[in-house]
Amino acid sequence: MNLIEAERLYENSVRILKRNQHENGGFYASPPGTRYPFIYPRDHSICIYGAVEAGLMNEARKGLEFILSSQKPLGEFSQRYDVDGNDASYKELQIDGNGLVLFVLGKYFKATGGSFFEEMADKAFISKYWETIEKAVQFILMNKNEEVDLIHTINSIHEYPAYEHGFEIYANCACCAGIYAAIDMGKALEKDVSAWEEQADIIKRAILTRLYSPRRRSFVKCIRVKDKNSKPIGYDSFASMVHDIDAVEYAPAYFELISDYDIKTMSTVRRIHQELWDSEIGGLNRYPEYWGRNNGGYGPWCHFTCQLANHHTETNNQDMAELYLDWVVNMAHDYTLPEHISTIERFELWLEDYTNARILRDSKVKLIDDIRAHPRWQDGLAYVTIPLIWPHAEYIISYRKYMGKFHSA
Amino acid sequence: MIRLENLLPRAFLTGIMKMVDMAGSLETIYWMQSIGKELADIEGPGFEGARADSDIVYLPISPFGNEVVEFSKIYEENPAQFNSVISTMSKLKGESDAPWEFPAMSHVLDVLQHSYNQKRAELAGTRLYNLGSKSPLGDVIQYNDEAIERAGLTKQDVAVMLEKAFFVYFIEHPEKE
Repeated sequence: MNLIEAERLYENSVRILKRNQHENGGFYASPPGTRYPFIYPRDHSICIYGAVEAGLMNEARKGLEFILSSQKPLGEFSQRYDVDGNDASYKELQIDGNGLVLFVLGKYFKATGGSFFEEMADKAFISKYWETIEKAVQFILMNKNEEVDLIHTINSIHEYPAYEHGFEIYANCACCAGIYAAIDMGKALEKDVSAWEEQADIIKRAILTRLYSPRRRSFVKCIRVKDKNSKPIGYDSFASMVHDIDAVEYAPAYFELISDYDIKTMSTVRRIHQELWDSEIGGLNRYPEYWGRNNGGYGPWCHFTCQLANHHTETNNQDMAELYLDWVVNMAHDYTLPEHISTIERFELWLEDYTNARILRDSKVKLIDDIRAHPRWQDGLAYVTIPLIWPHAEYIISYRKYMGKFHSA
Repeated sequence: MIRLENLLPRAFLTGIMKMVDMAGSLETIYWMQSIGKELADIEGPGFEGARADSDIVYLPISPFGNEVVEFSKIYEENPAQFNSVISTMSKLKGESDAPWEFPAMSHVLDVLQHSYNQKRAELAGTRLYNLGSKSPLGDVIQYNDEAIERAGLTKQDVAVMLEKAFFVYFIEHPEKE
């Protein structure tokens, strides 16, 4: 791996993270004037995680203050916010946001303590927002189905209900990990969190059994169910399984619910690599091409490639970790990362499909113009939404893990 | 065909008709507004929809559009009770000192929707004006001229936006005035 280029990308990623935090604390998904100039709790949370990993503790704290102050009355964190913290969502519930906010709050809390946790951890901050934490956990549990012990959601990480409506793996792992983080914080404040412990263990057990297929030796994407309170869920009009491959089937390990060495993780990651590594341009696709929702053309995503690099770093597989991270470093343009990368051919195919089907929205016109105007178009590549802040945050996390494992002084 | 599990949206539309018959269109307006405000309190501050820039919000998809279209097919045209609510709202606007506060009514459900949206905007410390709307059937376009003027726009500006949207709103920030 080109360590000099990797370091430069890391340095620029830190700069991009800092530059794209609004003075009110929200991390933009993409810079103002581009495609996503709002604050999306999912992206925002990973930016906070990246900030913690990069040692930007003031920025992380400010980001947490922003999001924790923007909680909705019932305990939900919206799909997106404006810079003032007002709900600006245009999609239905995305409950993984609740899990992610708690998960990264836990990351911040642990990082403030470090080796001297008892003396140093920022308990005052957690205490200030304890009621918010409680409401966030309660909202997650409000959406738990008692028949399968999983959390129901309409959208998840891909904002694609056709494959995510029901009991989806990423949302469940994020929520479960979020509750565990809340438990740790509660214990540090000497709160009684025993009921949450019981619930988190139940959800975790359900993830590891109901969302794992022993015959496929892989985690699966989703138990597709329309209504969270359908009882029995077997009679729900959507009742079916989505067992297609999805990069987020790595979520149980990403959210630290199980080890990267666990055989369930190892075999799932193998399947992800076999089916989603892009044979033409490298990098990891997020889901199969035939799902048919490939804005800008089907192709690999930088932040999922980074997430899976973490697995190979964790399991001491330097060759694979470098295959993944090196791809991200090589695809960066002027040390900035796009949402995803496609080819001219795939881009045109997507455009034809969406135009013929009359499902090309007006908002995509700018996206199309930007892709064609990008310098890498001349190389035959379609760079979609650049820069996106999320992959920079994921790269910071992955790079730090990689360097810590393989190049620590 | 209706199944029990899909009953509620149609029940609410039927309920509006029954409410007008029982209590009159003015009371029905107050009833819908109180529901909108109650739901807004539960949802909290915010502005639902796409943003053209920082102060213009629009809805590219008509809320309840599917239900409204289905309902209209049953009655072929708007029930008399719906028209009564719309004309009462128009009268209230005409008598008001603040006509910009009113919805640009293209359908009876705009009463509910507008009170919900306005309350959520109020919770965010702002004011929200409905500049124009297009009915889910696409056959009626309405403007609120006073709101358009207050937003510093022209009817033509809003008409262009309504080509790709069903509702157009303007956010006013009191602290910026």
